[in-house]
This record gives sequence, C-alpha cells and structure tokens, in this order.
Amino acid sequence: MAATHAGTLAPSRPDLLRIAAVADAALLLVAAGLAVFYAPADSVQGIVQKIFYLHVPAAIAAYAAFAVVLVGGFVFLWNESPTADRLARVAAEVGLLLTTVTLVMGALWARPIWGTYWVWWDPRLVSTLVLWLIYAGYLLVRRIATPGRQAGRFAAVVGIVGFIDVPIVHFSVSWWRTIHPPVETAAPEALPPELLLTFAVSLDAVLLLAAVLVGYRYRVEVLRDRLQEVLDR
Amino acid sequence: MSSFLRVATAVARKDLRTELRSREMLPALGQFVVLALLIAFFGFDVETGGLEIAPGVLWLTVTFAGLVAFGRAFAAERDQASLEPLLLTPASRSAIFAGKALAAALLLVACEAVLVPALGVFFNTPVFSLELTAALVLATIGMAGLGCLFAALAAQTRARDLLLPVLALPLWIPFVVVGGRAVQVALGGGRDLNGALALLLDFDILFVVVASLAAKFVLDD
Repeated sequence: MAATHAGTLAPSRPDLLRIAAVADAALLLVAAGLAVFYAPADSVQGIVQKIFYLHVPAAIAAYAAFAVVLVGGFVFLWNESPTADRLARVAAEVGLLLTTVTLVMGALWARPIWGTYWVWWDPRLVSTLVLWLIYAGYLLVRRIATPGRQAGRFAAVVGIVGFIDVPIVHFSVSWWRTIHPPVETAAPEALPPELLLTFAVSLDAVLLLAAVLVGYRYRVEVLRDRLQEVLDR
Repeated sequence: MSSFLRVATAVARKDLRTELRSREMLPALGQFVVLALLIAFFGFDVETGGLEIAPGVLWLTVTFAGLVAFGRAFAAERDQASLEPLLLTPASRSAIFAGKALAAALLLVACEAVLVPALGVFFNTPVFSLELTAALVLATIGMAGLGCLFAALAAQTRARDLLLPVLALPLWIPFVVVGGRAVQVALGGGRDLNGALALLLDFDILFVVVASLAAKFVLDD
C-alpha cells in the first residue's frame, strides 16, 4: 500500500524538480552573498539600492508567470487541455506572490529614496498594482466558479483580458503624466560589471525559484484533480 | 453583419422594454446617485462648494452605478431562467452579448443624465457641458463592454455579486485615468481634452471588440 503511494508521489527516476529546488536554494544563497559582499554600494542610494536585486527579478518573473497564464488560457479555450488549465492556475498563484514581493520591495525602496512609499503618477507602480488586483480576481474566479470546464473557461477569459489591460493602464498613466509635472528621474550612468553580474545571478535564481514553485504546485494540482476524479466516481 | 446588428438591437430593445415596463432600475439608480452625492459631501467636508472634489465624486458614482446596472443585466436573466432559452437560439453569442451591453450602457447613460445635473446643483459644476457629456458617454461604452462581460461570467457562478466589482473595477482603470482627466478639463482644470477623448475612443474600440470575442466563451454552456 505504502509502496504504491510512494510510487505515485516520488517517481523512481531522478526527481528533476527536487534537483532544481536544491540547486536554486544554492543559487539564491550565492545571489544574496553577491548582493551583500560583492556588488558595490550605490554612491547615492547606499545600501537601499540592494533591494533592486530582489525587486526587479521578482517583477520579471511575475511577468513570465502571467505570460504562462495567458498562453495557458488560450490553449485551454482552444482545446480544453487540463494540463494548460492547471499550468495557468498555478502560474497565477506564483505570479501573484511575486507581484506582492515586487510591490512590497518597491515601497520599501521608495520610502528612503523618494521619501514616500507610493506615488500615483508613476505608470509602473499603478500598472503593477492593477496587475496584482486583476490576478487576485483571477484566483477568486477560480475559487467561486464551478470547478472544471466552467472555472477553466472563465479564468482563461479573465487571464487574457486582464493581460491586455495591464499595458493599457501603463500607457494611460504615462499619458496622464505627460500633462502633469514630471517626476525626477536619476540620470542614467554606466553600470559597473559587478552590479550586472550580481543582477544576472539574482535574476536566474528568482526565475528558477518561480519555475520550481510552479512545478511543485503543479504536482499538487495533479494529485488534487486525481482525488476529485476518485471522489466523483 | 446585418444579422449581427439585427440580433443586437432586438436584444437591446427587449431589455429596454423590460425596464420600461417594470421601472425598477432607473428609479433605483437615480436615487443611488443622489445618495452618493450626499455621502460624498458630508464625507469630505469641503468648504468652497465642492468643485475640487466633484470629478472624483463623479467617477466614484459612475463606476459604482455601473456595477449595479451591468450586474443586473445578466442577474435578471438568470433569476428568470431566461438566459438559456436565449442562448438556445441560433443567434450569435457575440450579438446577444452586444445587445445586452448596449441596453446596459443606455441605462447607465440615463443614470448619468441624472448625475451630471445633480452634481451641478450640489457641487457647483456646470449643469450641462458638452465636453463632460462626451467624456462620460465615451467612457460608458467601453466600461459597458468589459462590465457586461464580467457580469455575464459572474451571473453564472455562485457569489456573483462578489465577483463583478473585483473583476470589473481594475479593468476599468484606464477609463477612469483618461476619463478622469477629460472630466477635470471639462470642469475647468488641466488641458488636452481632445487627446483624452481620442484615447477614450481607442479604448472603446479595443475593449468592445475584445469583450465581444471573449463573450463567446463566457456565454457557452
């Protein structure tokens, strides 16, 4: 009995997901080490600038996750593939988590640098907030709609229309800002190579983390769907 | 295409006739509007008549009245169990959806026809302004497209009243940002009214097309 369960849960071939998880834990440590000890402190912002190594990768990984939601939604509407639906479902959760990290890290950075946690006239801030709200709604649809085909379809529609809306929000706010006093922006300067290396490692670590989280959540969803099938029988 | 328009206008006329006979939504929306203004005035405690908060009050009232109007469009069909027979007809889903959205948009415009003069009376804004009307009507079209899409979706789930605001409000933000600017210009602050109106028109076209296409998948059972 126990053997069958172990057989389903942990396949006998090497578990790639577990290897990726362990490798990513190491990579995250390396990224943190690089950010603290290797990357130079910013001459103007000081230590606060190091938030950047988590904030930007989290934002990029969140967009990647929502792109998975978008593609999964299209595929599900096209052929009702349960795999696409499950992927979209778990990617939305991971994307929402990463967007939360992005928003919190951004606010923590903004407080000492801009003197306030939040500004309304920055298109990135507003569109990220709306992004968070849209995918929080997506997960609510998942919870409220009848599981199965209806939840899949409705969520796919929200995921697709929501994805279209986000750049429009970004555009609206930047248009709005052009007739508003401009926000001060730092002069672009050449970035030192140490900084770029640290950023690249952090980005890889966070992207891999997102993939690992999606992988584990996907497994849970497979088991949950299987359980539902047994219960429905 | 002509059959699309025929179906859409037939559905819209059906919905408007129902409203005309029952007279439920419009009185309720009209009262809601006046109550919203009353709450806004005492909530803000403004000294100078309220002109500076008027645009915000206007948008809060329009968006929340919109949620009520669009939510009812499909909730009423569901209560009467009349959505399924409507979908059993060979008419295109997108056309049925467009008709319902059109009727709901007209109801919201009627509600705005109460709101703008009431705002003028209570908050010293112009009682009629062509710019304000243009901005509101243009925003209403796109908001109706998106709002009715999610109303159709929410009506088919349990806890439907919960779902519509959570889905529609974030997607309406572009209309509020650009429409908000247009209303501020119309009420005497800021500039670039034409740019705002042109953008609203662009958003209308985009979201009406997207919503009609997506409606096929929402109205499918």
